[in-house]
Amino acid sequence: MASQKIKVGIPRALLYYKFFPMWTTFFKELGAEVIVSPKTNKILKDVAVSIAPDEDCYSSKLYYGHVMALKDKVDCYFIPRFSSGGFGKGHEKNVSCPKFIGLAEVLRSVFPDLPEIIMPYFSTAKNNHGKLKFLKYCFSIGSKFTKNPFKIRTAIKKALKNQKEHYQQIQISVDELQKWERSEILLNEAPNVEEGDVPLKVAIVGHSYVLNDPYQSIEIMKKLTSHGVDCITSEQMPRELVEHQMKFLDFNMYFEYEREIIGTVMHFLESKTIDGILHLIIFSCGPDSIGGELCSRFSRRKPEVPLLQLVIDEHTGEAGLNTRIEAFIDMLRRRKSIKEKKIRRKIECP
Amino acid sequence: MPITFPHFGSLTYVFETLLRELGRKDIIVPNKPSKRTAELGTRYSPEFVCTPFKITLGTFIEALERGATELGMGGCNAYCRFGYYWPVQKLILEDLGYDFRFVPIDYEDPLAIVRTLKNESDGFSYLQTLRALQKTWVKNRFTDLVDKLRYEYRAIETVKGTTDRVAERAFKTIVETKGMINIRKLKKTLPLMFEKEIEIDNSLDPLKIAIIGEIYVVFEPALNVDVHRRLNELGVICETPASLRRFIDIGYKLNPFLKLHREVSVKIAEPYLGYRCGGEAQESIGDTIFYKNKGWDGMVHLYPFTCMPEIISRSILPQISKEYDMPVLSLVVDEQTGEAGFQTRLEAFIDLLYRKREKDRERKITKKSTKPNVSFQTVYGV
Repeated sequence: MASQKIKVGIPRALLYYKFFPMWTTFFKELGAEVIVSPKTNKILKDVAVSIAPDEDCYSSKLYYGHVMALKDKVDCYFIPRFSSGGFGKGHEKNVSCPKFIGLAEVLRSVFPDLPEIIMPYFSTAKNNHGKLKFLKYCFSIGSKFTKNPFKIRTAIKKALKNQKEHYQQIQISVDELQKWERSEILLNEAPNVEEGDVPLKVAIVGHSYVLNDPYQSIEIMKKLTSHGVDCITSEQMPRELVEHQMKFLDFNMYFEYEREIIGTVMHFLESKTIDGILHLIIFSCGPDSIGGELCSRFSRRKPEVPLLQLVIDEHTGEAGLNTRIEAFIDMLRRRKSIKEKKIRRKIECP
Repeated sequence: MPITFPHFGSLTYVFETLLRELGRKDIIVPNKPSKRTAELGTRYSPEFVCTPFKITLGTFIEALERGATELGMGGCNAYCRFGYYWPVQKLILEDLGYDFRFVPIDYEDPLAIVRTLKNESDGFSYLQTLRALQKTWVKNRFTDLVDKLRYEYRAIETVKGTTDRVAERAFKTIVETKGMINIRKLKKTLPLMFEKEIEIDNSLDPLKIAIIGEIYVVFEPALNVDVHRRLNELGVICETPASLRRFIDIGYKLNPFLKLHREVSVKIAEPYLGYRCGGEAQESIGDTIFYKNKGWDGMVHLYPFTCMPEIISRSILPQISKEYDMPVLSLVVDEQTGEAGFQTRLEAFIDLLYRKREKDRERKITKKSTKPNVSFQTVYGV
């Protein structure tokens, strides 16, 4: 009966990178076949840019390409209209980018010949959906695949468990962060450094769907590792430190994923334990236009840690980006050696 | 401490009234945004932030140069970037070296509005503040009314320019009228004023176009290149359903027998865009269907460059336009919008609408003329 499985298509873009353990296990446990679109490549990008609405941001343009890549292979899509998630305090107000809410409906109206789209709406912010509503949505989706409520229940349980494990795996603890700041441990595989040199510490901040997509971020992680840099991403940052930084602002950062970015930048600007911050901005991204400006203004007020902001869009050339990253890292190296010299001089002649 | 606020089309009068009612005497009424305002705003703004940010920043800089120290601004906790306007503008203006204080008003929460206004008032109690706010929201109904009348009469007036003069005077009377009884009387006197003083050409058969989209762009003539006037000069009656009253008109909200226009249009939009996603996205979609059912001829959809919610509605609008046979012209507005290009597109759109209307009428006539014949034959069997 394997051939009769319903095929569920999940585009590998935007929120997929945040919630893929939950979504994939949920549908697999229900007995559906999950088909995830291929990783972003040049052909997909060209298709995406030609069909997407011309004013969307680069990331949501790519989403159209991922949807098109699945078009003939699946029976239905899973594109949730997601406004904000997470239960507990602090989640009553925060929302995410409005494009996530409208995405499924825009796709349905722009391409009427697409297969059915499963689009549950979930928001803990304005509509105050609680855990009960979440279960209700899960059951209503599950009933499309199986009539056995116990099967749905186990699927929900496993999905939530996997998601939790995924979060725990990604986020590091405060202890680990402090150890990393003291250069006692490495977070990634050993970076390529000359002998006797300590690897530079750089924080890469940006949306999770940019950092985890090697094509979109132009393989920035690999490049940094090859230049002898050990990097931490804004996703890895412990949540409590981010929330702690948010208290210093005199307004509420209500974009859920922008909090992560600004919190990380603010933390490192204050602690000064790393050598530099690299901010990846997607062209014409709404939240980033505000977040980028806030970060750059904050860093201008606390100039000890240099901040490089790179704007990426579909026309970004790799060579130009490489030059800027290399220049940035060279500058960080020089700063570090000057700093060390100063410290040594202080020790020698107090 | 002189207080100022951003220029917001005809709503500028509403804000001015509100501050007057609160007992503030040191008000700096902002100038109309000019080219210099846009330039100033653009110079210090982030690169791809939406256009209202740049214009409001420009007006603030100009007001600070004129001596303002308190800046009133809306703040919210919604889906759109608007809630971040004042924090970012505060950082930018601080870096420019100005000495000021921001007064953010969370307009989504009626209690927060009253609380903030009380702090800004001249030692008012809560009840007094509420009274002042009530006068403001009632006056806002009349500014909306004057706007509506103005966009209607200007298209069919015989002597050009009379409507603008009358509207200007009407706005002044709205601002200056005091006392709740006198204000309530305006409901009758304002339409009479328009009726008496403006000669209209009854032989005309004007097109009717609704202008929808993001509220700031729709209201601010300096940003939308005065699209209402352009349409009126082409002989088209227009109307804007967008209104600030959905936030401040608490009386209307509490009345169970009255419904704001917004609630109606959101309900209509539900099958296409089910949930609120900020801006006027749902309203734009609902209004298109609403005005089609009302028998209007077309829609002009305006939104600022990179506005997130309106891009969603813009992507869905072609489908609705096709389904309901309602022409929609989507126009992006930013500080570099050229007047000539705008005018050409509007003229072409209106030519198209005239032709479409004639065709529709012909079709209706032929339908009407065939129908009775059929019934006649079937009844009498001739």
